[in-house]
Amino acid sequence: MTLYDKIKALYPELTDSDFLSTIRLQNDSDGKGDYIAAWDHPTLTRPTEEQLA
Amino acid sequence: MSSIAMQGGATGSGTVTLLAPVTNTNRTINLPDSNGTVLTTATAGVPVNGPAFSAYNNATQSISSGTFVKILFQTEEFDTNSNFASSTFTPTVAGYYQVTGCASIAAAGATLFITSIYKNGAEYKRGNDFRGVTLSQAQQFNTALVYCNGSTDYIDIYGYNSGVTPVVGSGSAVTYFQAALVRSAT
Repeated sequence: MTLYDKIKALYPELTDSDFLSTIRLQNDSDGKGDYIAAWDHPTLTRPTEEQLA
Repeated sequence: MSSIAMQGGATGSGTVTLLAPVTNTNRTINLPDSNGTVLTTATAGVPVNGPAFSAYNNATQSISSGTFVKILFQTEEFDTNSNFASSTFTPTVAGYYQVTGCASIAAAGATLFITSIYKNGAEYKRGNDFRGVTLSQAQQFNTALVYCNGSTDYIDIYGYNSGVTPVVGSGSAVTYFQAALVRSAT
């Protein structure tokens, strides 16, 4: 399951628009994988590492 | 027959020297029949022989959905100043660069494909997108003018899509990254 899938499972209400504005998932193709580059959603809190594990 | 008149400056004490190249061949320099100022390599704003490169993705790249992923460009077509490495362009000449990125991405059921130009690790200019139209494959193009300081600034291309098990297509015609200096910083 990708980081995107895990976040969508936690917050099904999120849409593409959210991931193109207030939430940014990123992968720099450096072998470190996907990560949350920015989380500025006005109402939903950033998931914890435990929630994403 | 027309003639050439040499005239010194009204003020100043410097000497301008016209230096012949080291050659055993006679050469002719044709002057334009118009008024103007001769440009040199040191003239402000003139990008003489500035950096330019072109590279493409030569192997399909699996990426995550809903995520901006750096696109890999493993093969160089040209790189005039050796400023392209590890899929990143880091020009060593300060100035304004026309940057182009194109990525072919295949993904089942996708409604969104984007190619974005990143500067120094952050999104800088986002290209157009196919929004609301379900597609299994799209080729996204993006171009922008980007200032680079000639030392630390660097440029990458990232791709984004909303489909299932997305894959970036390979080939010089479909997934490529190019840039060239169009105006120097001075």
